[in-house]
Amino acid sequence: MLGELEQVVLLAVMRVGRDAYGVPIHDEILRRAGRDLTLGTIYKTLSRLEEKGLVASHVGEPTAQRGGRRTRCYVVSAAGKRSLQSTFKALRHMASGLDVGLEPT
Amino acid sequence: MIRSCIWLLERSLRPDLAEHVIGDLIEQQERGSLWMLGETVSALWHLHARPHATSELLLSIVADLRIAARLLGRSPAFAFVSVLTLGLAIGATTAIFSVIEPVLLRPLPYPNAERLALVWERNADGSRDNVGFATFHDLIARSHTLERAAAIGEWQPTLSDHGEPERVIGDRVSWTYFRTLGVRPAIGRDFAESEDLPGNNQVVILSYGLWARRYGGDSSIVGSAISLDGKPMTVAGVMPASFDNTISPRVKIWRVLGYLNQPFACRTCHHLRMLARVRPGVSLEAAHAELDGIKAQLVKAYPKEYAADGMLVGRLQDEITMASRPALLALSGAVLLVLLIAVANVVSLQLARAIRRAQEFAVRGALGASRARLVRQLLTEGLLLAMLGGAAGVVVAYVTLPFLIARLPSTLPRLSAMHVDVGALGVVTAIVLLLAIAMGLAPARGRFINLSSALGSGRRLSGTANHSTRAALVVAEVALAMMLLVSAGLLGRSLVRLMGVDVGFDTSHLLTLEINSTGPRYPNDSSVFDFHDRVREAVSALPGVVSVAVANQLPLAGNLDMYGVADVDNPPANPEQVPFGDRYAVSSDYLSTMRIPILAGRGLTAADANDGANKVALVSDALAKRLWPNESAIGKRIRVGGRDGPPRAIIGVTGNIHHSGLDAKSTMQWYIPERQMFFADNQEALAVRTAGDPAALVPAVRRTIAAIDPTQPIVKIATMDDLVSASTSQRRLALVLFGAFAAAALLLAVAGIYGVLAGTVSERTREIGVRSALGATPTSLIGMIVGQGGRLAAIGIALGLAGSFALTRYLQSLLFGVAPNDLVTLAAVCVLLGGVTLAACFVPATRAARVDPSTALRSE
Repeated sequence: MLGELEQVVLLAVMRVGRDAYGVPIHDEILRRAGRDLTLGTIYKTLSRLEEKGLVASHVGEPTAQRGGRRTRCYVVSAAGKRSLQSTFKALRHMASGLDVGLEPT
Repeated sequence: MIRSCIWLLERSLRPDLAEHVIGDLIEQQERGSLWMLGETVSALWHLHARPHATSELLLSIVADLRIAARLLGRSPAFAFVSVLTLGLAIGATTAIFSVIEPVLLRPLPYPNAERLALVWERNADGSRDNVGFATFHDLIARSHTLERAAAIGEWQPTLSDHGEPERVIGDRVSWTYFRTLGVRPAIGRDFAESEDLPGNNQVVILSYGLWARRYGGDSSIVGSAISLDGKPMTVAGVMPASFDNTISPRVKIWRVLGYLNQPFACRTCHHLRMLARVRPGVSLEAAHAELDGIKAQLVKAYPKEYAADGMLVGRLQDEITMASRPALLALSGAVLLVLLIAVANVVSLQLARAIRRAQEFAVRGALGASRARLVRQLLTEGLLLAMLGGAAGVVVAYVTLPFLIARLPSTLPRLSAMHVDVGALGVVTAIVLLLAIAMGLAPARGRFINLSSALGSGRRLSGTANHSTRAALVVAEVALAMMLLVSAGLLGRSLVRLMGVDVGFDTSHLLTLEINSTGPRYPNDSSVFDFHDRVREAVSALPGVVSVAVANQLPLAGNLDMYGVADVDNPPANPEQVPFGDRYAVSSDYLSTMRIPILAGRGLTAADANDGANKVALVSDALAKRLWPNESAIGKRIRVGGRDGPPRAIIGVTGNIHHSGLDAKSTMQWYIPERQMFFADNQEALAVRTAGDPAALVPAVRRTIAAIDPTQPIVKIATMDDLVSASTSQRRLALVLFGAFAAAALLLAVAGIYGVLAGTVSERTREIGVRSALGATPTSLIGMIVGQGGRLAAIGIALGLAGSFALTRYLQSLLFGVAPNDLVTLAAVCVLLGGVTLAACFVPATRAARVDPSTALRSE
């Protein structure tokens, strides 16, 4: 079962799609969840997810606005998607019959 | 900042991580949406893998701070008391330092200010005297050590255009005045040499404040004429807002002197101050020696125009801060004592806490924390407390400083330079760091890392080392509090003595103010005298007015107007060696209005003011005794103000009065009818004796005088009681500050004693239980605990007494009628401190007496 931060970061990586590196992931989480995470927190979570094989990463292109430094871009793996599904399933089962705004669809 | 963050990250993170994390940080920074430090700490916290000394240290400090914050949060009472104590003490220290630093420590705001000096003529008794213009002129003509010099005379003109008539405080200065200081007008030009001559000297320079306030900051005023005392004078320039006229802080306008060859430019007319700048490389001592030599030549050339040899030269900064320095130094000493007491108190609290936390530290030690690591944890906790205390202190300083400055005398130089500034904050930082170290290391001396005993029993550890440290701290607190209490007591007794001084006249129900008569309406002396008469008649007709008098000056109003008084029939060989007395040129009812007693002879009558009346005078008892020690003064003849004045017959002797302040050296006075003076005073004091509250008459008196001449300003309106209390205001301020510091010190010392005893009682519960079981009575238990506290207090009081003997002599110049080692004060403070500390002992003592032996023993 995924932790809350892991879920948020995984979903953000999926939403950003191509070129999902720190800054857009941070912005996506800020926009959708209203949480201003530090990059340290985000990368810490991503590296934990990568160790579990739930995301994969590759080195991206350097740009001038980054002081010539490369990005590291992440994609959610098939295992990552399965993990999200099982987590949500578990949550739905747990919430079933309770009025917590997470009824089974 | 950004660079150092990147530097740190590059060295702390794995290279592959560093690459994209730093890239992201820079990208965010570019968009301007980043708190760089927070992000860096977070990245280090979450991502650091490669051990690096700097980041390791930073991380563990962050960790320690988190723990320290959490621990403080868990004992909010301790945190609150500590931060409050430190905050008040640091705030008071910062505020006092912010006042003292610009006055005593910071160089004056002029280029090469160390070469500036004030020069005085030396009186026979070694005291300072103003310089006569002729002497000034000769000194600068013959000196080679002085680069420039300027003479300064007081001047209080009435501004009568651009709005209400207004008296402003000014100075008349040599054309070299601003050049000597090394400053220039911001707008317009400086005085020219050709203007410093009689007839050409209708030129003024305005202060920035006066220009902005009265002339709305209009630069077209420069070069045009304004009306001063009814005469047009050209505004040459305006000084910059930053110019601080430290020599006379209240001066708003300068007029060029133009004294050359004027009658008042004489050698014996001592009414100028002399500012000088010595040449580079010349010491003030060398300049002094040279000026002494020149003065010796002058005395030889004009033996009857000098009373004594020698000049006096003082560094400008020393001279202008001379009056305030003792009080400022005493205050800074007092506030440092308070700070020490506060530190002792907080350290003591830390110690008590360390004893309670002995087990925590023992466990951490057992789990592998080194002693150094534990000490660092304590240091961090100390640092956090000190930082919070420092922050609270800055807030306290910012809040209290304006109140403090508002109560400082307006004659104190550098008032505008007093801020909570970098220097003051530097002091705070230094205090905070020292505090952190003290608070961290003091508990570390204890035995909290003694594993076996700490882990073996939660109750039985005693922390002996900590106890003796705490006891020593309490003794120190009591001793320091004692010194502050003695100081406050001495100042208080001085003030009481001062208020008991008989000023020699009746200060109650007396309204005083100053009227002016300058400009074209007053072309000659008799028009001025007539104006005074009309004002007196109109004001005395007001209901509630008992009588009205005019005089060129009033006692305690801050005037200085003295003349030499010579016995016509028995003059001294050197005419300069005559006694000086305050000049009182008055209306005939002055003495009766002021209620100054006539000890012999008669007072002035209206007939004495008539044309052709005999020239008469009254002298004060002290002056009569000085001139004619063994004879009656009545019928003797005196001459005042130079050797060509008319003889005046003494018709009466008056009681002595305090002219220049309750605590000032007493002076002698002489009284003559104002119409018998050889000039009329354009600035005249009015004394109104009232039946009821004098302040209530102010509007009516104002209206009445304005109805006679609306173009003249009415200034310095005050009741005589106000003037009396103003003359003691500096002492009151010092007393209030010392009193507050002493009260805070007493409170902290008492809290310290209480804390130590309460700690002892709770730690010795078992022992007390045993004693009680073995037959100790509650009284003997109370005696035991009170005795322990009493010993601490007694040692503290003894040390405090010694300290008081050593330190209070520095208060000497602030005392009045009380010796620095005044026994009454010392005894009273001992009793007070002893009583209060014993009272603080009783609470823990009665708790000890109530210990139930069975509960205490069963708790094992």
